[in-house]
Amino acid sequence: MSVLGGLLRAGATFCQSAGTLLQTARTISTGVCCQIRMHAIPQPKKVDRWTEKSSMFGVYDNIGILGDFKAHPKDLIIAPCWLKGFRGNELQRLIRKKKMVGDRMMTLDRHNLEKRIRFLYRRLNRYGKHR
Amino acid sequence: IALPSNLLLPSNLIDPSRTKRSRPPPDCPLPVLRRCDAAVPSHLRPVRSWVESLQDQEGEPLGLAELHPDVFAAPPRIDILQEVELWQRNYKRIRHANTKVRSEVRGGGRKPWRQKGGGRARHGSIRSPIWRGGGVCHGPRGPSSYYYMLPMKVRVMGLKVALSSKMGQDYLHIVDSLDIPTPDPQYLLDLIRHRYWGESVLLVDVAEELPENILRATESLKTVNIIPAIGLNVHSMLKHEALVLTLDAVRFLEEKLLWHDERHTPLYPFKLPYSDFP
Repeated sequence: MSVLGGLLRAGATFCQSAGTLLQTARTISTGVCCQIRMHAIPQPKKVDRWTEKSSMFGVYDNIGILGDFKAHPKDLIIAPCWLKGFRGNELQRLIRKKKMVGDRMMTLDRHNLEKRIRFLYRRLNRYGKHR
Repeated sequence: IALPSNLLLPSNLIDPSRTKRSRPPPDCPLPVLRRCDAAVPSHLRPVRSWVESLQDQEGEPLGLAELHPDVFAAPPRIDILQEVELWQRNYKRIRHANTKVRSEVRGGGRKPWRQKGGGRARHGSIRSPIWRGGGVCHGPRGPSSYYYMLPMKVRVMGLKVALSSKMGQDYLHIVDSLDIPTPDPQYLLDLIRHRYWGESVLLVDVAEELPENILRATESLKTVNIIPAIGLNVHSMLKHEALVLTLDAVRFLEEKLLWHDERHTPLYPFKLPYSDFP
């Protein structure tokens, strides 16, 4: 391995026994490292920092404080309706989804959702240290 | 504050082209066009700044404006700026990464071979996480949100600190109104380059209907953007190098940001009607 070769070379220079050991040190590789092979260092990808989206990012975030509290920044979020202005762990998200969207879901999705809620309820409330 | 004598600073820190016009001195022949509306604390002086106009490319400043020190000379709290910037980036973030659990992957209800006697390892279904094509154990689950809110006063303080940093680094310019003689984007670019404002400029005005000329001029430009004063925020201020406010925008911002210093804590959310607050 190249590490062995390097160590040998370092050991040789330290011990000052020069020529013979350096010439006989051979590097072996088992084929585990150096798996990425490239002809040249790849070019960095060109990102335009001034598109419409990035230059207008964050506008209207303070619409509450500067706009008389008629709107709240959580009204600006583009998200599925059960996640707008809501944060929770998986069980809370699934329960909220079932409450808000459950009756218009497809049967297979609904069935999977209910199975997952049942599994998570049992996992979080019955087993483990934090129940 | 004295700097140590053996301090070595790189020579390209200050752009020499930007040091040509400094803050106006206390005794100046130009008229003071605007005084502070709210009461200034007695231990602070109002910050003064030039008021320019966008009509001529090489116009001299029209006068002075006095700005409230609590808004435009707030202590430089970079940690609050970072908190507000991270909040702006993350509160809208929805992560749509989703993986199927072993129960959701199609198939895998039957035991593939009998428990004993096959010579192979025992398995209960083809879709268990050990198998190729099986479900993921602890992968990302469904669209999840990173929503949280910072306290209102922290967000207000972030705006004040951002405005003060722009003021302190000479990147804030005050204009009487955003009127331009021609709707030509090149005129704006030449003006900005002549006055050494910076590479990117953010124009802020209060009115809901902005003048047509400047709207057409900034439509095609990428680095010069115009927003109403309600849309002002820390991320845009940090992204654009220079900030241009109109006198109306300054009055509006001072009124909105100073109200939070002396308000009572809300008994119910502010969007519900209060008797003494519009």
